[in-house]
Amino acid sequence: MNAHAGTLRGKERYRSGVMEYKRMGYWEPDYVPKDTDVIAMFRVTPQDGVDPIEASAAVAGESSTATWTVVWTDRLTAAEKYRAKCYRVDEVPGAPGQYFAYIAYDLDLFEPGSISNLSASIIGNVFGFKPLKARRLEDMRFPVAYVKTFQGPATGIVVERERLDKFGRPLLGATIKPKLGLSGRNYGRVVYEALKGGLDFTKDDENINSQPFMHWRDRFLYCMEAVNRAQAASGEIKGTYLNVTAATMEDMYERAEFARELGSVVVMIDLVIGYTAIQSMAKWARRNDMILHLHRAGHSTYTRQKSHGVSFRIIAKWMRLAGVDHIHAGTVVGKLEGDPNTTRGYYDICREDFNPMKLEHGIFFDQSWASLNKLMPVASGGIHAGQMHQLLDLLGEDVVLQFGGGTIGHPMGIAAGATANRVALEAMILARNEGRDYLHEGPEILAKAAANCTPLKAALEVWKDVSFNYQSTDTPDFVPTALAAV
Amino acid sequence: MLDLQCANNSSLCGGAASPPSGFDLRKEAEAAGITETLRELEHELIGLKPVKSRVRQIASLLLIERIRQRAGLVSSPPTLHMSFTGNPGTGKTTVALRMAKILHGLGFVRRGQVISVTRDDLVGQYIGHTAPKTKEILKKAMGGVLFIDEAYYLHRPDNERDYGQEAIEILLQVMENQREDLVVILAGYGERMTNFFASNPGFRSRIAHHIEFPDYSEAELLLISELMLKERGYSFSAAAREAFVNYIALRMTQPFFSNARSIRNAVDRIRLRQADRLVSDLDRMLEIKDLETIDSSDVLASRVFSASPPGEGREPSERTS
Amino acid sequence: MRLTQGCFSFLPDLTDDQIYKQVQYCLANGWAVNIEFTDDPHPRNTYWEMWGLPMFDLSDAAGVMMELAECRRVYGDRYIRISGFDSSHGWESVRISFLVNRPAQEPYFALERQEVAGRVVRYATRLCPSREATP
Ligand SMILES: Nc1ncnc2c1ncn2[C@@H]1O[C@H](COP(=O)(O)OP(=O)(O)OP(=O)(O)O)[C@@H](O)[C@H]1O
Ligand SMILES: [Mg+2]
Repeated sequence: MNAHAGTLRGKERYRSGVMEYKRMGYWEPDYVPKDTDVIAMFRVTPQDGVDPIEASAAVAGESSTATWTVVWTDRLTAAEKYRAKCYRVDEVPGAPGQYFAYIAYDLDLFEPGSISNLSASIIGNVFGFKPLKARRLEDMRFPVAYVKTFQGPATGIVVERERLDKFGRPLLGATIKPKLGLSGRNYGRVVYEALKGGLDFTKDDENINSQPFMHWRDRFLYCMEAVNRAQAASGEIKGTYLNVTAATMEDMYERAEFARELGSVVVMIDLVIGYTAIQSMAKWARRNDMILHLHRAGHSTYTRQKSHGVSFRIIAKWMRLAGVDHIHAGTVVGKLEGDPNTTRGYYDICREDFNPMKLEHGIFFDQSWASLNKLMPVASGGIHAGQMHQLLDLLGEDVVLQFGGGTIGHPMGIAAGATANRVALEAMILARNEGRDYLHEGPEILAKAAANCTPLKAALEVWKDVSFNYQSTDTPDFVPTALAAV
Repeated sequence: MLDLQCANNSSLCGGAASPPSGFDLRKEAEAAGITETLRELEHELIGLKPVKSRVRQIASLLLIERIRQRAGLVSSPPTLHMSFTGNPGTGKTTVALRMAKILHGLGFVRRGQVISVTRDDLVGQYIGHTAPKTKEILKKAMGGVLFIDEAYYLHRPDNERDYGQEAIEILLQVMENQREDLVVILAGYGERMTNFFASNPGFRSRIAHHIEFPDYSEAELLLISELMLKERGYSFSAAAREAFVNYIALRMTQPFFSNARSIRNAVDRIRLRQADRLVSDLDRMLEIKDLETIDSSDVLASRVFSASPPGEGREPSERTS
Repeated sequence: MRLTQGCFSFLPDLTDDQIYKQVQYCLANGWAVNIEFTDDPHPRNTYWEMWGLPMFDLSDAAGVMMELAECRRVYGDRYIRISGFDSSHGWESVRISFLVNRPAQEPYFALERQEVAGRVVRYATRLCPSREATP
């Protein structure tokens, strides 16, 4: 299918009127992407009767230099360099009517260090383009030269651990529930109990900002009283993600600065604040020795459906470049969407310095991160102590495990819920390091730990039957052998 | 303190709660890998009859000890420290490596590494230097075998304030208290080792097995040379073999003779000369056979055959393994 | 107060056999093992005193256990921790850290508050001797 369409050259190419994209230089099957090119891979679903090559070339055109008609002003530029080039189109295995289109972009098309500029190009206009029923941005490859124009995570996994003095195990967190309605004073109580009980972090939810029932300064003050009390009670560093999301940058800076003044180690933002605001906050966090937690609020509106939108692996890559320190990346076993292989791919994007192409994990390109800091993935939503062995096996040790309901819903109280999670985690790490087959012996290891720990016993009892086994909607499409390396 | 039984050989300690009623000895020995190690010892080392039989005895003792433990019979952790005495190049270091393998296979040491040291690695130059040095080495040897070559240098009877004494004391303590953590093998030349033990009864009493390495006979040295050549992909022509028989007889009478090591050095030089001979005639076509064969000229060019005796026989005191 | 720093503080104090296995895990990963002690377990006290240099290239944890026994003999009334250090690129920091000794009577932390403008409080965490009477 990757045959030449015959790019028109010279005078022919610039004759006024409408011309197929694939003949305007947006389809170049012989093109070999340069090491310095940005590469994007789209899943395209052309309208009935539209040639998939033409549809893919149109995506290349619309995401770079083209418009619907030939313009003579192209000739005032080095147009061939600036034209994005679709160089390969494959049928999607097992999905008739869908195609994977590989498009290379010259590095000069992008402003250094700007996710907004990058996304405006790659997903700016092109998603509404009529000849396609649907399209989805599946994966991207960034050249090292481009990666190096970004700050990357403000703190990074290693320094975060050093600052918290916590090594060798996942960190434990919980989102304060109910997410809406608590007063500052009551909210701080939950924070105190959870941290004193053994968690490392508590967390505001994405929509906790400054509402009539709790204004932000109140929340910050009571939360930091709770954090400091718990810290003194345990001798351990504790933190609470103070959500500084607000209507304007000025408001966010004000809140972040207040959090710093109170001695918080971490602040939080929501993905919905936008890429520019995220990068601003990442720079602020680096300047102020602050861990920056990102809640991926809103992402499912465009990441979940396979045929249209943007894959979450793209968001993960962009956020590592943009410079946040934490990102929610799925649990596999919890209540939210997450195929195990796809999720493994997200985790690798966050934590490795080099991602080799791995189609079964949805990774289509080799990607070097050029020593950019590592981004701590956060697993949150419907997980509990009884799954500790599975969580450790699936997610590894550099992850924040957030047990919201699994802490606050404990029958013996919040502190007991926290203790149950911490004991379960430590027992599992101890067993793993001893070389035990902890995945299979997990329930036994937990039961033994529970013999010394009533809260864990109670937790195992209450949640023993809870699991969420639904079909994932976002799974990788690949034929293990059919596709060659790019 | 430590779960030694299961440290590295699960096949020998399946974690059964009640002891099994019978033991398949062959299976046990094979599972521990000692059948294989003993076979290698037999085939890859020429001669050394008394050494081999002592090693075999020790291996048998340990195997039975292991089985007795599992059977729940009275058993005490055996003392395994050893001394290897014999002239230079009689195979002491080589056998120590095999011994570590046997001990590891049977689970009497957990990791099986061999840390080979001499006095300089253990004894410091100034006050407060020796203890950390000795401990550093001991820590690296834990779980394996500490091989102390020319152990008598540790002790300097002429110097009362010699730091060696400090190292000796630390060694003795660890040899006594941490018998399950490491095995110490002291090695050195016959006479001097005897004197060393006489003036250090602490060592003598902590050592369970004294093994003496005899000098090799001429016939054995010839076999060793052929084995070494074979390992390197060469062989003697008939005439070369005859020449080498003479070489051995001569070399043994010359100074600095060190048994198998002298043979190894001779073999290395013979290879040099063979290569030189081949390359000196660039115009001929080489056959595989030419590459593999040692000619008598390669042997006879040795200075061992020339009038002045100590000539090439001088082996620099490179005494490493 | 039971100090809960380190990887296993919510479990019963580790036995020597358990410590041995954790150290062996570090060695198997190629990490250097370090023993440190302190009488000031303040959460921001990063630099505990080192008991000798970190131990590189050991094969078996018994070597570390020997040092630990020695350290306990001298500083048995302090906190002692063991950490595994990974020098590989991209990490180059501690990989695991856990307590292996506590004083018989643990100190506690008092939280001091200084009220400043508005409702803001400045906090200081201060180490205090154990509340139990020392025998
Ligand atoms: N019986 C043997 N059969 C074959 N090769 C041998 C034999 N004994 C020794 N060798 C070889 O001779 C060389 C010297 O042996 P080794 O280093 O074990 O001797 P040593 O007794 O430790 O000598 P030293 O006391 O001088 O250190 C090695 O290359 C070894 O492989
Ligand atoms: Mg030797």
